[in-house]
Amino acid sequence: MNSYPPFDADLLRRYDRPGPRYTSYPIAPQFSDKFNEANLFDVIRRSNEDPIPKPISIYVHVPFCVSPCFYCGCNRIITRDVKRGEKYLEDLMKEVAIVAPLFEQDREVMQLHFGGGTPNFLSPEQIREFMDFLLQNFHFSTSENRDTSIEIDPRIMRPDDIAALAAMGFNRASLGVQDFDPDVQEAVNRIQSVEETLAVIKACRDSGFKSVNVDLIYGLPKQTVSGFAKTLDTVIEARPDRIAVYSYAHMPHLFKPQRQLDETQLPSGETKLSLLQLAIEKLSQAGYCYIGMDHFALPEDELAIAQERGDLHRNFMGYTTHAESDLIGLGVSSISHIGESFSQNPRDLPSWENALESGHLPIWRGTQLSEDDIIRADLIQHWMCQSEIDIVKFEDRHNIYFNEYFAEELKKLHALAEDGLVAISPTHLKATLRGRLLLRIIAACFDAYLNPSATVLQFSKSI
Amino acid sequence: MNVKRRPSPIADDGDEFHFCSTCAFSSACQSEGFNKSALEELHVLVEHIGPFREGEHIFREGDDFNAIAAVRGGTVKTYVIDTEGNEQVLGFFLPGEVIGLNAIHHAKYPCNAVALDTVMLCRFSFPKMALLASKMHGLQAQLFRLLSQDIGKAALLAGDYSADQRMAAFLIALSRRYAARGFSATRFHLTMSRTDIANYLRLAPETVSRVLRRFQTEGLIQVERREVELTQKDQLEQLAKPVLRN
Repeated sequence: MNSYPPFDADLLRRYDRPGPRYTSYPIAPQFSDKFNEANLFDVIRRSNEDPIPKPISIYVHVPFCVSPCFYCGCNRIITRDVKRGEKYLEDLMKEVAIVAPLFEQDREVMQLHFGGGTPNFLSPEQIREFMDFLLQNFHFSTSENRDTSIEIDPRIMRPDDIAALAAMGFNRASLGVQDFDPDVQEAVNRIQSVEETLAVIKACRDSGFKSVNVDLIYGLPKQTVSGFAKTLDTVIEARPDRIAVYSYAHMPHLFKPQRQLDETQLPSGETKLSLLQLAIEKLSQAGYCYIGMDHFALPEDELAIAQERGDLHRNFMGYTTHAESDLIGLGVSSISHIGESFSQNPRDLPSWENALESGHLPIWRGTQLSEDDIIRADLIQHWMCQSEIDIVKFEDRHNIYFNEYFAEELKKLHALAEDGLVAISPTHLKATLRGRLLLRIIAACFDAYLNPSATVLQFSKSI
Repeated sequence: MNVKRRPSPIADDGDEFHFCSTCAFSSACQSEGFNKSALEELHVLVEHIGPFREGEHIFREGDDFNAIAAVRGGTVKTYVIDTEGNEQVLGFFLPGEVIGLNAIHHAKYPCNAVALDTVMLCRFSFPKMALLASKMHGLQAQLFRLLSQDIGKAALLAGDYSADQRMAAFLIALSRRYAARGFSATRFHLTMSRTDIANYLRLAPETVSRVLRRFQTEGLIQVERREVELTQKDQLEQLAKPVLRN
C-alpha cells in the first residue's frame, strides 16, 4: 500500500472540484440544531451500555492566537491577553465537570489532543493545571499506546517548555510551518524562522516525543516552485515522523481572515499542481510513505505500519492507529462523536460560556445517525483509510446487497473507473494509485446528502 | 433512498391461517390439526399487541394475570425489585419465547416485564388457553415443556461459577436459543445493556466488559458495539459446560 500515486496533472485538473474532507459522515453542515443536551445524555448512557464500551478520545480546542495568519479557516480569536486563557480554562473545567461523570469510570482515555487556534497560547503551567483536572475526572490509560498530542506554534514556543509538556505526558507534537519562503510568510502574515522551528523539533526529540508532525500548505500567495522546494528540503532534512501537505482553500466568503490576502498573488492552478507534484516527488524520494489525503509518514511511523496492516482509522483529529473510540470534544466549536451521534459546541465564545455558566452542556447542533448514515459512514471511513472496500465483508457486516444498495452510486463510480481512478471488481472496489490523490472525490459518490448546487460554496477544492 | 436490506433475524408475521414461524405454540397446535383460524373460531385469542417502545412495561409485578404472551420481535427483560430496592434481572426473552409463564400459579404477575427495544407480542388469553389445553394434549404438553424450561433457566446460574464460565454460558445459551428459532447461532445482536447482563450474571458491569474483551483478544468472539460473533464457538461451549451441563 505504500507505493506512490503517480502525478497526472491533466487528471487532477479535471477533478479539481469541491468535495468534503469527510472527517465525519454526515459532514458538519448536515448537523441539526434540534439535537440537544438530552439527546447527548441519552447517547452517552447508551455508549456506556455496550458490552465492551469504547475507549475515550478527548479533543480540547484552544481558540486563541496572538496574531492572525491570513490563510486560516479555523475557528480562532486573536488576542495577547493571557487572562482570556485563564477564564477559558475555568470554563473548560466546568465542561469537564459536567461531561466526565456521565462516562462509566472503567472507560479509559486512550487519546488526548490539544488543537486550535494555538494550544501553546496557554502556558505550560496553565496546561498542567488543566491536565491535572482531566486526570482527576477521567480514567486515563496507563498504556504506552496512549497518545497525548498538541499542535504547536513554534513562534511562541520556548524549547525549554517542551520538556515541561513531556513531563505532563505529551508524546506527540504537530508543528505549523506552511512555508519557509520569506515572501510567502510576509504575504500570509506569519513570520517564522527555520531556526526557531528546528529548535522546537529538536526539543521534542530530546524530550522523548514519539512523533513529530510538520504541516505545510501549498497554494499560498507568492508561493513558487523554487521557494517551496527549499522549504521541502529543509523540512525533509529535519526528518519529522509525519508531514502533512494541505491544499490552501481560498474561501473568503466563509473565512473572514482570508479577505486580507491579496488574491492577485495566489498561484495559478498550474503552479498549484506543480507545487503538489513537487511535494509528492520530494517526499517519496526522501522515503516517506503516502498515508492518504494530505498525509505522509516515515515507514517506521505507526501510521505507515497501521496502514500496511489495514488497521488505520480516521477521526476529527486526522488519521490515527486507535480503533474506534468515543470522542469527546471540549471547548468552543469542538465536535463530539459518541455512539452513533455527532454533536458540536457553539462556534462563538459567548454562547459556549453562557451554556456552561447556567450549568448546561454547550451544544449547538448535532445528528443521530440513521441506519443509512451508519452504512455510508463506515464505507467512507474505510475508503479514506484503506483506499479499498471488500464488498463481501461489507455486505456481511451491514446485511445488505451491495450492488443493489449502491446501484446509483456504482453508476457514478463507473465513470471514475473509466478515468482510471478506481478499479471495480465483483468483490472489491479499489482506488488505483492515481485515484489515491482523489479519495474524497470517490468518497463523495457515496454521500447521500450531496447535491451539486450546495457544494460549490461550501467546500474547498480537492487538490 | 435505495434501502434494500437482506432478510434480518426478526420473527416473521404469520397470517390469518398460519402462525408466526417462531411461535412457541405453532407446532403444538398444528400437530392437533388446528390452524390459526380454527383457534380463532374457538375464541382462543391469538392477539397481536405492540409495539412496545424501549423502556415500556408490558406488565408489572402485582398486575392481575390474564395472559401469557409469545415474543414476536424484540427482547423482553423480566425483573423484580428486592427488599433493598435493587433491581434483580430474572431473564431475557427472545422472539418465539413466552413471557408470563411464572404467573400461571398465581393470580398475579410475580415480576415486571419491560421492553428492551421495540417489542411485538402475541398474546394468549390464559383462561381460554388453559381450557383449550385440557382438550388438546399437544398444547398441554407444550405448556408443560415451556414451564419446566422456564424453571430450569433460573436455576442455571445459582452455582459457584467463575465470571468466564458465566459469560460463556450466557453467550452459548443465547446462541442455542437463536438457533432453535432458525436464526444465526454465531452472530447476533445483544439487545440487553451491559448493566442488565451483569445483573443477570451476578457480575460487576466492568467485569462483563473485561471478560468479553479477553474473549475477544483470545479470538473466541468478535464484538462491535452490540453485535457479537462467536468465532470459536466450540471453545466457548467447553467453557460453558459446567453451567449448562450439556
